[in-house]
Amino acid sequence: MITEEANREEFFNETQELIEGFSRSLLGIDAGLKEGLSHPELLNEAFRTIHTLKGLAGLFGAHALGALTHDLEDLLDGVRLGTIDITSEVLDVLFGTVEASHQLLRAERETPGIQVADVEGISQITAAISKLAHRPEHTTQRNYTVDPAILAVLTEYEEHRLMTNLNSGLQLYRLRARFDLMTIDKELNALKEKAQPLGEVLTYLPTGESTSPDILELDLILATGETIQTLTSVLGQDILQIEEIEAKKTVSSASLTQADSLAVEEHPSSRFDSLRKTSSAELKSPAEKSAVKRSVRVDIRKLDHLMNIVGELAILKGSLERSSHGLIAEGDRRVGRELNRLHRNLERRLADLQDGILEMRMVPLDQVFDRLARGVRKMSRQLDKEVRLVITGSDTEIDKLLVEELGEPLLHMLRNAMDHGLESADERSAVNKPALGTIALNAYQKGNHVMIEVEDDGIGINEALLVDRAIQLGAVQANTASELSHDDIISLMFLPGISTSKAVSRMSGRGVGMDVVKTSIARLGGVIDIQSEVGIGTKMTLTLPITLSIVRALLVKVEEQTFALPLASVSEVVPLKEMTRMIEGREVMQLRGSNLQLCRLNKYFNLPTAQTSGPAEQLVALAQVGERRLGLVLDAISGQQDIVIKALGESLSEVKGFSGAMELGDQRVALVIDAAAIVEEVITMSDTPWHAVIHE
Amino acid sequence: MNKIALLAHQQLTTSALAHELLSFSVNQELFAVELRDIMEIVVPPPITIVPRASPKVLGVCSVRGQLVTVLDLRRILGLPPAAVTTQPRILLAQCEGDILGLQVDQIRQVVRLQPHELELTNNQGSTDTIEAVRGIGRPADSDILVIFDLQTLFMRGRS
Repeated sequence: MITEEANREEFFNETQELIEGFSRSLLGIDAGLKEGLSHPELLNEAFRTIHTLKGLAGLFGAHALGALTHDLEDLLDGVRLGTIDITSEVLDVLFGTVEASHQLLRAERETPGIQVADVEGISQITAAISKLAHRPEHTTQRNYTVDPAILAVLTEYEEHRLMTNLNSGLQLYRLRARFDLMTIDKELNALKEKAQPLGEVLTYLPTGESTSPDILELDLILATGETIQTLTSVLGQDILQIEEIEAKKTVSSASLTQADSLAVEEHPSSRFDSLRKTSSAELKSPAEKSAVKRSVRVDIRKLDHLMNIVGELAILKGSLERSSHGLIAEGDRRVGRELNRLHRNLERRLADLQDGILEMRMVPLDQVFDRLARGVRKMSRQLDKEVRLVITGSDTEIDKLLVEELGEPLLHMLRNAMDHGLESADERSAVNKPALGTIALNAYQKGNHVMIEVEDDGIGINEALLVDRAIQLGAVQANTASELSHDDIISLMFLPGISTSKAVSRMSGRGVGMDVVKTSIARLGGVIDIQSEVGIGTKMTLTLPITLSIVRALLVKVEEQTFALPLASVSEVVPLKEMTRMIEGREVMQLRGSNLQLCRLNKYFNLPTAQTSGPAEQLVALAQVGERRLGLVLDAISGQQDIVIKALGESLSEVKGFSGAMELGDQRVALVIDAAAIVEEVITMSDTPWHAVIHE
Repeated sequence: MNKIALLAHQQLTTSALAHELLSFSVNQELFAVELRDIMEIVVPPPITIVPRASPKVLGVCSVRGQLVTVLDLRRILGLPPAAVTTQPRILLAQCEGDILGLQVDQIRQVVRLQPHELELTNNQGSTDTIEAVRGIGRPADSDILVIFDLQTLFMRGRS
């Protein structure tokens, strides 16, 4: 039973997706514009998206969104038909509508049927749209004479594209091809795809000269800069005939327009005439087809619920295993073995089920990366600083919940890179760097982690200035400043309130910065590392878990209490050497020739010493976070298991060192050790010079 | 089954303090909370201590797959640990979206108070444990009850 509310939810999801798609098209157009290319297919896509959006808004009585998309559709139609030039200013307005649409959707969610006038800040954007849309139109310049029989059947849009192509010096060709009526869809698309790299297929028109009723003969009009030889070699197999269409440049455009209209009148009964509609309708098909995805949307809470059920099934599975062992021990071997076999089957299926649910939670990063690209474009125009943003790995998948939390911190990092990292064009030229600064946003998977890098080729971190500011804040004492290592200095970046910017800009430099980023990343179970070289650039790397809900973990014992230690945070486990040394108040042991700082978990957790005599040999689990390594000393390892981590409640949020708890299967729960947090706390915070000052 | 399910919300009253109270004892003293605040009463499952947490936190446990943080009323009230607790129970209740548990020494009974048996206190701004006290109940057939506000108790247990 589909309720009204579910319907509305569907509407919000769908519009959200459409707006994201629209934003992607705009980014493509923007990128093309910078390289001097026009992307008619992207413009068409944007136009169609807004058209669909308008329809949806009307259907659901979302008046405000309807009004916005109505104006927007006019504007885009103008751009598509060439009556409005696509410039950076027009794109600014278009990008603005993306934000405005999101805003309207939020308002609509709160107040169904809200009007534009009731939403703050929207009137500005609608005014900008109508100003652009009703600019004095300039019509497509018809500087060429083309066979009137062709012109007569073109739609206004197609004619605009034809003239635009001729104006940029391309040549028109008529490609004749035959298609079987049964397979024409596929074959025509295949041919168009083949022709795409050569130029633009303006339209296709039936010739009416086919030899059999099952065969359709079409003329494709292609605008291209390639020679007829190239066309023949690429497309030769698929087409019957290639013919150049003559286009003469005319002197006076006014007289031409007249001649043109005459020409149309001369061919009122052109055989193409009745087909005009089809050809323009046909234009819609490919993108619309690809937009139909075989997918359903699911509330993430439902997946969480399923995951909980899997957790409980795993507990039942544990009981089943115990029963089977019990039966075998009691002598009923036959039933016991049968039960054991069933148990193993169940185990496998359960693992499949778990994997399946997990996979459903994964989404590609491009959702958030698109938003970031939009943000960078906006900042670039506000700061008046041109930048090249290179994105790789946006198809890397990560837990849906993580994706939603990543946008803000990443935007902040990009903002820092643009504002503080990249020098001005003049400064760059002075040191022989390319005038255009580059920011790279890279994502990739590494084991159970997703790495996201924000890298700029700017000026690097000014360490001296950073130390000065830290002294001003009182976080570092002037007389100990010289003892700070390179890494120590870099970690000063995360001090609350620190900023190295000379002037507070509109966007950054207020000193609320990297410490906030670090905290939000830590909340997601991730860590941030900064590498920087003066004059070369800065690279910030986020290491994030792929998913929050399930991990493979070691079950370890410390003073008889069981803890879970996620495998992802441990690189190896080695026996603890008897001989440990104290260096600067830190206990270290030798591991393959280098010093490894140790953290005795029983002391860190303040656990009472167990009654039983201590185990013969303790173990050291090597935890690594970025470049920092720490050996966690524990008593024993009792097993390995896939665990569902449940968050500790709000009342325990202050307790550091644990990322949650898990069920052991016998009604007991074990705490999950947050190795990254312990490494951070023990290494970064322990007796570094500023630590004592901050926490006094 | 080892639990008493109490569907307290069915008897919701509209007065400021519901007259149906659950009484229990801690350190031989009688206390009560509003019955409608309690989701469930459970026999303590194995509780895992949480190192470095506030001493008022006994630990965490799992009640049918749901993770519950258990607070100790003795420690919240600053009482010594029980020498021998015969029938400890955990009261489960919602607190700001979490489910918290409050361990008490022994459950007594459900008490219905007449308005004249109830004396409300008004101690806004008080900082002592006393701020959690909603009132005093003097039922005809039982000893005096100190009535706690469960949410305030929980807030104190968290800090």
